[in-house]
Amino acid sequence: MNRRNAALAATAATLAGAAALADFRSPMEVDVAQLAAEIEAGDDHISALDLGERIMKGDGDIRVLDLRTEAEFGEFHIPGARLISIAALAKETLPRDATIALYSEGGAHAAQAWVLLRLRGYRKAVVLREGVYEWVSRVVEPRLAADATAAERTEFERAAVLSRYFGGVPRTGVGRSELRTGYWTDAAQARPDARSIRRRGC
Amino acid sequence: MAGAGKPYSDPYLAGIGLGLVLLSAYVWVGRGLGASGAFSSVVVAASTGSASPLGDWLVLELVGVAAGGYLSARLAGRTRAAIERGPRVSRRGRIMAAACGGVLMGLGAKFARGCTSGQALSGGALLSAGSWIFIAACFATGYAFAPLARRLWR
Amino acid sequence: MTAPLTETGALGSTGELVAAPLIGMAFGWCLERPGLGYAPKLAGQFYLSDLTVYKVMFSALLTAMLGAFWLDRMGLLNLSLVSMPETYVLPQALGGVLFGAGFLVAGLCPGTSCVAAASGRLDGFCVIGGMLGGVALFHAVFPWVQRFYESTALGSVTFAEMLNVSRGMGIALVTLVALGGFAIAGRIEKARS
Repeated sequence: MNRRNAALAATAATLAGAAALADFRSPMEVDVAQLAAEIEAGDDHISALDLGERIMKGDGDIRVLDLRTEAEFGEFHIPGARLISIAALAKETLPRDATIALYSEGGAHAAQAWVLLRLRGYRKAVVLREGVYEWVSRVVEPRLAADATAAERTEFERAAVLSRYFGGVPRTGVGRSELRTGYWTDAAQARPDARSIRRRGC
Repeated sequence: MAGAGKPYSDPYLAGIGLGLVLLSAYVWVGRGLGASGAFSSVVVAASTGSASPLGDWLVLELVGVAAGGYLSARLAGRTRAAIERGPRVSRRGRIMAAACGGVLMGLGAKFARGCTSGQALSGGALLSAGSWIFIAACFATGYAFAPLARRLWR
Repeated sequence: MTAPLTETGALGSTGELVAAPLIGMAFGWCLERPGLGYAPKLAGQFYLSDLTVYKVMFSALLTAMLGAFWLDRMGLLNLSLVSMPETYVLPQALGGVLFGAGFLVAGLCPGTSCVAAASGRLDGFCVIGGMLGGVALFHAVFPWVQRFYESTALGSVTFAEMLNVSRGMGIALVTLVALGGFAIAGRIEKARS
């Protein structure tokens, strides 16, 4: 091999070796009482609107994890999310500096995953309280009642921006009875279509 | 034949150059290079008559690829109306093979959500698992079937 | 973080579109220079007579991979804002098989076929035509393959995460494999000359 190629190879090897060393991290410790306090304070939650805004702004420090099944994920998932099983979550190395947003169908699995991550020392895990349901009903298809209050209107404006960004459909002039009230209280639950929201292809 | 025109550039230097172009794509527009997606856009636009394919980033990029390729070939004296083929295959055979190979690649790129540019190169550099699966499957298959395609190239 | 420029607002949507053909031109140039617009050269990869494809592809991959990692480390590029393709295990494996077979037979891939066509090669145009046909064929059979197409989705995951190693480790692995390949390529060429 000639001199130049040897020099290039050495440079590449050095940069790669340095990368491996630079990325080494040690685990941190955790306190159960502190976890309980965080749960009570609600610090473990993230709203769909906040999540949507962070994704839309391109917040590089957020990672979204989906805790549902493959089939559910393939059919629809929050843009940029990654599918992971609870078992994998227990062992995998995740970025320690990033905020890890967890979601599942209704929120139970995500909440359990939150505890596991915190036990492993990941300080910045958050849960989308009502999972996919909350994403679809608050971000993708937000609804505004015909007799909405000013506060509802403001929140809707925020959601409408996100809805359009994610290829959804905001609806106004809706009857009060048609507003979505929550995953457990809703009569007709939202089931997202198998839409693929593509921003970029290759 | 490759005889006419200036000699080809060193592959390692060209590769580093290509890598820098890819890096600039990450930096400027937050995405990697691509190619097959442009073909997809064109087909979709043609069949649904919807949005102009020119609005698609990949189509614009591919137009650039053609322009850059032409420029390089021109400056190196390598532009020629010709059908490049192996020594033992006829012109017709080569044309058929090119078209059939194209069909297979078009199908494959759709399933894979990309091709050698978008998945292998751009996705591979980002360590995407699927991209590496694609790389392995693509090259393994090429090498595995090479003996069957000898008449085309040897 | 100052980049990607489109995400930090330094480059707007018009700028993004303008960047496309510029980046494309540089891409096309770098493909044609080492001769990747010449099909017999690309096919030679599979007969171990011409390893240009491997050399170009992997040196490009290494450059971009190492460059991206270190720019991110230095706070100049926010890697998590760079779109990474999503992983669909089985469809991408099948896609790779089909693509590999097609690549062998055609001698050109989507990008290089444009370079070949732009250089006047009719085979380049034929590959382009074939690919448009392949894509149309896919759309025609989509209802039957849709379930498979959407199966085994893992999202935007790196193989480092799947192997439970750090990104830096993954980079080191890729570099090792690539450099090893270059060494082997050198041996093969020496043996042939």
